[in-house]
Amino acid sequence: MRLVHDFLAETARRHPSKAAILHGDRSATYAEIEELSNRLAHLLLSAGLSKGDRVLTVMENSIENVVSYYGVLKAGGVCVEIHDRSTPAETGYYVRNSGAGVCILSKAAAPRLEGVEVPVIISAEAVRKGPGQRVFRWDELDAMPGASPPVSIEEHDLAAIVYTSGSTGSPKGVVLTHRNICSNTQAIVSYLGLHESDRIMAVLPFYYVYGKTLLNTHFMAGGSVVVNNRFAFPNAVVKEMVDREVTGFAGVPSTFAILMNRSIFSKTAMPSLRYVTQAGGAMAPALTRRLIDHLKGVPLFVMYGATEASARLTYLPPERLVRDKLGSIGIPIPGVEVTVRDDAGKELVTGEVGNICATGPNIMQGYWQDPEETARALKPWGLVTGDLGQKDEEGFIYLTGRKKDMLKIGGERVSPKEIEDAIIASGLVHETAVIGQPDELLSEVPAAYVVPIEAGTFDLESLKGYLAERLAGHKHPKFWHVLKAMPKKPSGKIDKEALKNDVLHEVRVA
Amino acid sequence: MPDVIAIVTGFIRENFIAGRSDVTVDPAVSLIESGIMDSTGVLELVEYLESTFDIKVDDEELVPENLETVNNIIKFLKAKGVAS
Repeated sequence: MRLVHDFLAETARRHPSKAAILHGDRSATYAEIEELSNRLAHLLLSAGLSKGDRVLTVMENSIENVVSYYGVLKAGGVCVEIHDRSTPAETGYYVRNSGAGVCILSKAAAPRLEGVEVPVIISAEAVRKGPGQRVFRWDELDAMPGASPPVSIEEHDLAAIVYTSGSTGSPKGVVLTHRNICSNTQAIVSYLGLHESDRIMAVLPFYYVYGKTLLNTHFMAGGSVVVNNRFAFPNAVVKEMVDREVTGFAGVPSTFAILMNRSIFSKTAMPSLRYVTQAGGAMAPALTRRLIDHLKGVPLFVMYGATEASARLTYLPPERLVRDKLGSIGIPIPGVEVTVRDDAGKELVTGEVGNICATGPNIMQGYWQDPEETARALKPWGLVTGDLGQKDEEGFIYLTGRKKDMLKIGGERVSPKEIEDAIIASGLVHETAVIGQPDELLSEVPAAYVVPIEAGTFDLESLKGYLAERLAGHKHPKFWHVLKAMPKKPSGKIDKEALKNDVLHEVRVA
Repeated sequence: MPDVIAIVTGFIRENFIAGRSDVTVDPAVSLIESGIMDSTGVLELVEYLESTFDIKVDDEELVPENLETVNNIIKFLKAKGVAS
């Protein structure tokens, strides 16, 4: 298959009445999603969308979310999907940075984001129209043609811009073509052995590349996707996994920490479960062992990837995880080459630690309108992931750390600088530093150190309120330390290592 | 006995709303659907309820009927023997 929406179109031809998405008491067949996404594509084209135009969507996982994704692609548009809890300020940044001319809002997102400055809004809920703005309601799709629109799209055309935190602070847009996503999807279907009898429980959001692979791989294989956005109540998810007889489950480390530590998962038999995948950061080996024990022979695929690689770079064959490779991220997926290199690009020998680099048809085209960051990430020898690691004598890869100063909060990369910039922008703080603090559930949470401008009148609650309006919840610091002065290096830079050591000390004392 | 509703609402305000004046905690509205609490938030809340009211919340009790809204939480606490 050449194009991402071919996954949908071809399965709709083969199995039109098969359930594609099951969400609560709603479901949609492949034929229904195919027709609705065609209608949306026609609506976008009638609203003036041209090939290559960006369309921003702010939606939780749902049937409408899936229709939007494939509908935008069928119209020749480029999908820009963002966190469904993004604040108006964050959404404004993504609209401006991507140049999106259309914004699709879910019922939940519409009231929060109705003021977003974009020429066209398509909304599941009534929204107030801004000056010169055109607003379409979701039910206007009914008047659109249900046949595929005649738009010529090539495999090298852009399909998605996926925002990820960058070392410069502001999120960067990872530019992916149809070929990038199709090749990665095919590789994942192949190593997981996905089949039309497969049915995945999707608790990961589709705006996140790992979540999106669940959708695309199952649409390619002709399987079904069960959507459950209420992992806040893990027992309800576990019960639905049993009731729906799901064959697959995917999670990040915090997903499994919650399932194993605070749910009925470990006491529940799931005879239909065929495999489990884990990605989104390293999981504590002790938790991995407990999970393996609980799964009683159901294969656990530990995987590694990057947004810049469409999603997936490596996987650890489950039998090797159990036998002798716990702690490794495995071997490259089909069609991808992963190497360990020094900063000059020279490949290192077995056992030497260096930059994890990758080449393959899944590697991004670059960062959206950011040639400098693109040049830093894409070298003649491939994508420089920013992770450090080594290979063993059999070619299995082990990560040893991250080169960039990035946090990984519940599987999502977050730049400390983005949080620091927002804190400084409050005008309440003279200096700040944000570092990661270990967290059992989320791997890491942000801890903020601040030096107030006016120590006597400084009100931390005001600062928290300021951030709440500008940053999505997972970026809010969980711990605050108000200091008289920052520890500094001889160069004058803030000494984050000194702060980290203090934090670790506190953790040990606790 | 301090007002249990005020204690629970105060915790939610302080930890999940972070000083925002435009977000209100409606005791009948889902804390999840309104975006106030996520999966880790629920666990933070449960730890707080356990330590504050000296109760034990079993894994089986982590269900929407007990924790979805402030009203559900209060009902759950009453059933656990916490006086309001």
